[in-house]
Amino acid sequence: MTTFKHGTLANGLDVIAEVMPHAKTSAIGFMVKTGARDEDAAVSGVSHFLEHMMFKGTAGRSAADINREFDSLGARNNAFTSNEVTCYWAQVLPEYLPPALNILADMMRPALRTEDFDMEKNVILEEISLYLDKPGHVLFERVMEEHFGRHPLANSILGSKASIGALTQGQMRTYFDAHYGPGNMVLAVSGAVDFDQIMGLAGDCCGQWPHIDVHRAYPKVELGNRRHHIRDDKLKRHYISMVCAGPSAQDMERFSAAVLSDAVGDHDGSRFYWSLIEPGLAEEADFSTFPHDGLGSFFAYASCDPSKAARVEEIMLAELNRVRSGALEAEEIARSKTKIATSTVMSGELPLGRMRNLCSQWIYNREFRTLEEDLAELEKISEHSIRGLLETFPLTPMTITTLGPGDGSAWPG
Amino acid sequence: MDQSSPAFLRVDRFDNGLTLVMEHMPEVRSAGMALAIVGGVSTDPEHAVGSANLLSDWILRGAGGRDARALSAALDSLGVQRSCAADTVFLRFSASMLAKTLPEVLPLVADIFQRPQLPESGFAPCREMALGQLEAIEDEPAQKLNMLLRSQHLPPPLGRPALGIKEHLLALTVDDLRLDYRRRFTPDGAILSIAGHISFDEIHDLVAGAFGSWQGPKAAVVVPGIAPGGVRHEMQKTNQVQIGLAFDSVPERDPDSILAALSVNVLSGGMGARLFSEIREKQGLCYSVQAGYQSLRTQGMIFGYAGTVPERAQKTLDAFVHELNRLTDGISADELQRAKIGMKSRVVMNGESSGARAAALMHDMYHIGRPRTLDELRARIEAPTPAMVNSYLERNPVRQLTLVTIGPEPLTPPPTSAPKAG
Repeated sequence: MTTFKHGTLANGLDVIAEVMPHAKTSAIGFMVKTGARDEDAAVSGVSHFLEHMMFKGTAGRSAADINREFDSLGARNNAFTSNEVTCYWAQVLPEYLPPALNILADMMRPALRTEDFDMEKNVILEEISLYLDKPGHVLFERVMEEHFGRHPLANSILGSKASIGALTQGQMRTYFDAHYGPGNMVLAVSGAVDFDQIMGLAGDCCGQWPHIDVHRAYPKVELGNRRHHIRDDKLKRHYISMVCAGPSAQDMERFSAAVLSDAVGDHDGSRFYWSLIEPGLAEEADFSTFPHDGLGSFFAYASCDPSKAARVEEIMLAELNRVRSGALEAEEIARSKTKIATSTVMSGELPLGRMRNLCSQWIYNREFRTLEEDLAELEKISEHSIRGLLETFPLTPMTITTLGPGDGSAWPG
Repeated sequence: MDQSSPAFLRVDRFDNGLTLVMEHMPEVRSAGMALAIVGGVSTDPEHAVGSANLLSDWILRGAGGRDARALSAALDSLGVQRSCAADTVFLRFSASMLAKTLPEVLPLVADIFQRPQLPESGFAPCREMALGQLEAIEDEPAQKLNMLLRSQHLPPPLGRPALGIKEHLLALTVDDLRLDYRRRFTPDGAILSIAGHISFDEIHDLVAGAFGSWQGPKAAVVVPGIAPGGVRHEMQKTNQVQIGLAFDSVPERDPDSILAALSVNVLSGGMGARLFSEIREKQGLCYSVQAGYQSLRTQGMIFGYAGTVPERAQKTLDAFVHELNRLTDGISADELQRAKIGMKSRVVMNGESSGARAAALMHDMYHIGRPRTLDELRARIEAPTPAMVNSYLERNPVRQLTLVTIGPEPLTPPPTSAPKAG
């Protein structure tokens, strides 16, 4: 049986674990509650750039040392930055968990050296160029900007070439000092784990980090509701995205939202599948729930031939209308629950996935939920709960942003 | 006894040519499965490239007594996550599920392969989808590069684009494709792999019941032609120049393939490997730079990829080829040790996932004719000494490099260490 463990260091660092006695590997990660939404416009992109700089060395290790040491452990390791969190993780064989913790903890106190900062800036600019060649990404950033307006969830994760070009090492240091306090992050481990040993090591490696007070801003939001087309004549396909309000990461209605998303927009057997993919109208079409800290969104996306743009958009809106007025059939709900339950059970077999899940639950809710608790919550979802969800979140008003060749005027009215 | 013991593996060969390979994973509740016929895009008729891709979609649009919706609902009600796709060699249905549902899932999969309805109404949408995906590649330069590099480097028909060729797709008819189905979907050479919490005898009986009476012609034999190779540039106003490199290596079944794989891991295994540390970390030339080893039955190949802005593209290409050439000078014992531990721990990590194990069993059956335990895979990685790897690298310098680029300007191919003739 898996067990949950939790301890807190004197400086406020929470250490949590899901011990899976039969696991053959262990996963470990630090998740920091900071991301693009915590940036001022002047430092747009700093969270993500900092994530790269954390691999560039500490007082005692060079960048090459960090990479070589992880490789010597056979680690699978990386990091990611979102709008709300930054996470540094590694998966290793159980005997290498202590040294992996030692490297990761050391990385969390980076040197941020000038020559590394200047060199890594090139890599960040390359990453921005890379994503400019991906229409789905370009569109996602634009629709979030349109939808969230002046709310910081509109912020770009990568920043722009201009903001990264102008960013200084001093600004990054200030940002680090203000956000990377032990009370604003969690250390999570999962898989084959000796928790007492981890607690001891965490105390040795992280116990001297000074506590700092960090407060995320939760400004009022005025959601967008307009339709907007971005013209790019170099593109061959037409891309459609839609965003509207949904349950937050704290809202228990997120379970109903997961069922709704599966029934409406999973890649197999969903309403979008039967109305858009199966007839060959769109090559991609999905609808998903996107819970944020204190807010939430539903997100719809499709790509199609430009000549079918109006029809595809019309069908997406019609399907969402049909859901709003008639909710879901009992059979659809049952199928979606089975699909989600199956993937929940399968995710529980992999320590890496469980570690990320543990981190997110803790950062957003300061709670631990077992797979069984999640499955029980899912089991409760009924036609009644889906109707309740749609009363709170009626899938309107909607921000619609499209990207493609031509002026997008194929849309009737 | 744990999962690495041979007692947890079993192979059954059926009279009709189907091979069943199984692994029991006592610690999981899930099962992964893959059913593949040797009917990938390389077996498409010469003027109908894309047929395998269309069939991989069409067979899911109704099978046995169920129409498309009923079939989809049946799989969804069992919580089956699935995909069906054609690659160079295989047309493959892969799925993950709870192991206890296998008795209900296997008959559905048998229907899909042996009794698809292939409804006329589903044909045009399948073709629309394929044409749409092909067109969408134009908006994704990195994917387009991969497609162009394969067709440039591999001998026909092995380098064919998996999505098909537009003109061929447009010329295909319902009758052509139904005929093709009967020729292509045969148990001869087919492999069914299942890994998870299973009982061998129970699965054997289920498979015998569902697939035992499946009959078909001999599987097609592919005879490779001459690879185009050389240099190709595709002019496109992208933000980044896409750089793809490829050269031949030994196939997986050659005992030397582990030496090739280890040397590629020295080049591109972890973040401390040569390409990442020299080209990205020390020179800041790009965000993505990597190399990988892949194998077909007849040949192995090493692919390289980098994406970078036009101003840095030539420098990146030069640095990449420099690293390839430098391999001939040998690798250090430390580098080899890191490559080994990285590969071994990936074996264990993949061993936790029933879906990954099902894919690995399929790979082993096709390439070496039997499944390998996790222990055997680890021992194979552990065995080579630095001298063995270095002697291999000396005997196999990079020659005949295929270079494909996408971007505003062509690049100048740098010389490789070996003479071009070879």
